[in-house]
Order: sequence, then C-alpha cells, then structure tokens
Amino acid sequence: MKQYLRGNYTLDVTIEEPAEDAPDATEAFERKALSRLGGSICFVSKKGFLWKGDGANGSGAADRQPA
Amino acid sequence: MDLGRRIASQLDQATFERIAPLALANAELNRPRIRRSILDLTGTTVGEGDAALVIAAGPSLHRRRSLERLKSSRFGGAVVAVDGALGACLRQGVVPDLVVSVDPHGERIVRWFGDPALTAPSADDYFRRQEMDPAHARDEVTANRELLDLVNRHGPRLAVAIATSAAPAVVDRCETAGMALHWWNPMYDDHDAPDSLSRRLHASNGLPCLNGGGNVGTAAWVIAHAVLGKRRVGIVGMDLSYAPGTPYARTQYYPELKALLGDRYAEAFVHIDNPHVNETWFCDPAYYWFRDVFLEMAREANCRTYNCTEGGILFGPGVEVTPLERFLEESA
Repeated sequence: MKQYLRGNYTLDVTIEEPAEDAPDATEAFERKALSRLGGSICFVSKKGFLWKGDGANGSGAADRQPA
Repeated sequence: MDLGRRIASQLDQATFERIAPLALANAELNRPRIRRSILDLTGTTVGEGDAALVIAAGPSLHRRRSLERLKSSRFGGAVVAVDGALGACLRQGVVPDLVVSVDPHGERIVRWFGDPALTAPSADDYFRRQEMDPAHARDEVTANRELLDLVNRHGPRLAVAIATSAAPAVVDRCETAGMALHWWNPMYDDHDAPDSLSRRLHASNGLPCLNGGGNVGTAAWVIAHAVLGKRRVGIVGMDLSYAPGTPYARTQYYPELKALLGDRYAEAFVHIDNPHVNETWFCDPAYYWFRDVFLEMAREANCRTYNCTEGGILFGPGVEVTPLERFLEESA
C-alpha cells in the first residue's frame, strides 16, 4: 500500500505488510504436490459404474471394424 | 485437517489433470487396434456362480499368503487380477480369468507382463522400491526374465480387460503373448456435461466408459460386479496402504514427497488403526483418496463386497471384512 498512501508525518515504528499479501508456503506446496500425486485412473462422483452411451449398447461399433 | 488428508481431498481433479493428456493420447494410438469390447464378456461365463475374487497387489497378498490359500481352496468363481499381481498369481499357479490394466505410464506398466526390452537394471528405481511384487525388488532382471517366460506360456489362456489409456508397449506385449484383449474407456468426467471428454471418447471408439475409482484395483472390482455381473465380490491384496514397519523410502510416492517437502515429508503420511487386525497401517495421500473413493462406491454397488485382505485400511460401511477362507467356502 505504500505506493498509494503517503503522509506528512513520520512514524516511530515500522509497519509490516499484512501476512495475507505474502504467498502461503503451505498452499504452494500443496499445489506442487497435487501436480505429482494422484491415481492412474479418474474417479467421477455420482455417475454410476458403467456408461454405455445414450441408447447405445457400448459394444464398440463406432467407426472401426470389429474382429 | 492434516496435510495428507488435505491433499487427498483434492486428488480427483489433480488426477484428471495429470493423467488425461497421456491417457487420451494413448487412446488415439490404440484405436486402430481395438477389436473387442469389455461388454463382450457380459454374456459369457467367467467363473462359476455369482462370486468373483479380485486380486490386488498390496503387501498383504504376500504377508497373508492369499494366493497359496486360494490355490488350495475349491473356489470356482471368477478370478480377476490387477496387472501388478499377474506375476505373483502365475508363480503360484493361479491363472486369472481376467487381468485388468489401466495405467497410461509409457515405460513402467509393461513390466507387469514381462518387459522384452529389459536387459539390465533400470535407471528408474520404481520396481526396486515398490511393495507390489517383491520379486522385482530383489532382482528385477531375473524376475523380469522369469515373468516373460510365464506370461508367454500362459498368454493364450489369458484375457485382459485393457483400458484405452494403456501404453502401446503394454498392448504390444499382450498381443505378442497371445492374450485376448477386451477394451474399455476410463470415465474421465461427467458424461452429461457439455464438452465431456468421456462422451467424445465414447463417440470416437464406441466403447463403454468405466468409473475406475482412482486405481486399477478399484477398476477390477467395478468390472467384477458391473460388467461380469457378480453379486459377491471378495478382495485380497487391497491394502491401499503400507504395512507397519515399512520404511518411508520404500513407498510409492517417496521421491515426490521428499523432493517437495524435504525433511517434512513424513507429515504427508496418514496413519490408521485397523481394528480387525490390531495393527496401524499408513498411507500417502493418494492411497487415502483411493480408500475414500472405494467406500463411496461400495455404498452404491449392486453387490456385496468382502474384504479378505486381512490388513490395510479398507474397512467401513459397504465393505464386509472377513477371513479369506470364509469367503471362499461360502462361494464354493
């Protein structure tokens, strides 16, 4: 804030910047950890176990040739 | 909330961001090789009756000699093994009805099937450090050579439920060994959402999307009840944690946690008392997330789930903890 507020007086104490303006080390660590940890497959909450498509049987026709 | 649990609570989105790019790239590479859907198994008989046993690769599989006990039983239900447990199964003479593979990692996963390219100890210490198959930790080159022979010998009798996310090296290895591949898509996101990746993937290859629960063991359990239609599903080797006394340095995410936290790395581990075995097991944030997810899914499943691991941290509503013999006898 120092660049915005200037007074015509001198303080006897040193005012420190609020702590919340500084980057939080724990949050930074957690962000880094999240980019390195995790599973080998996703989990989607409340979407059931198997989705076969809308009205399809999910047997894999699409645009390929079955065996 | 402590650090480990706090990280675990955010791992669903983090897993998506870390896994999806590689998994979807693999799906595109694998697309021309897809011949069978996993749903082709739905109408067939995989194991007798309504029971299945899922074999995961946690330390209790060896501590509790689960495979030897299975081998000496009269269990005739479906045996569904994760890829990391395949070597242990074949060494004990247990030939799974279905092997499940999902991890998109480009180099590591093929080792579970025997890596034809490995001729010297790998620079990657993963297999010397991991707890899933101690044979690889002792002497990875010899273990790999023996596994190559075993998988080649049994390959034509093996079926694999393989995710489209699997690395092409794994697909090559399975095909070369003569395994029958049954394909499925991992569910990446809400398929009802606009621009859903799952929906786009399904449109491109026609395969069903399976909610995998974060790890291959949970995916195998989903396949057992949601695809094979089994109503009694037992589980062995699903500790989702490390046994008491395991050095932190021998855990899966140790290098990452050490690099990130320095001397504070131990704070990321969560310790849990297991009243069924009177032991305290511990896990990293990823395993803790797997446990939370499994318990959420178990409550919704159209089957009874029996955890016969006899160790680990997987217990709670929806999961019946029972000795392996009792499950096997009641399912025979």
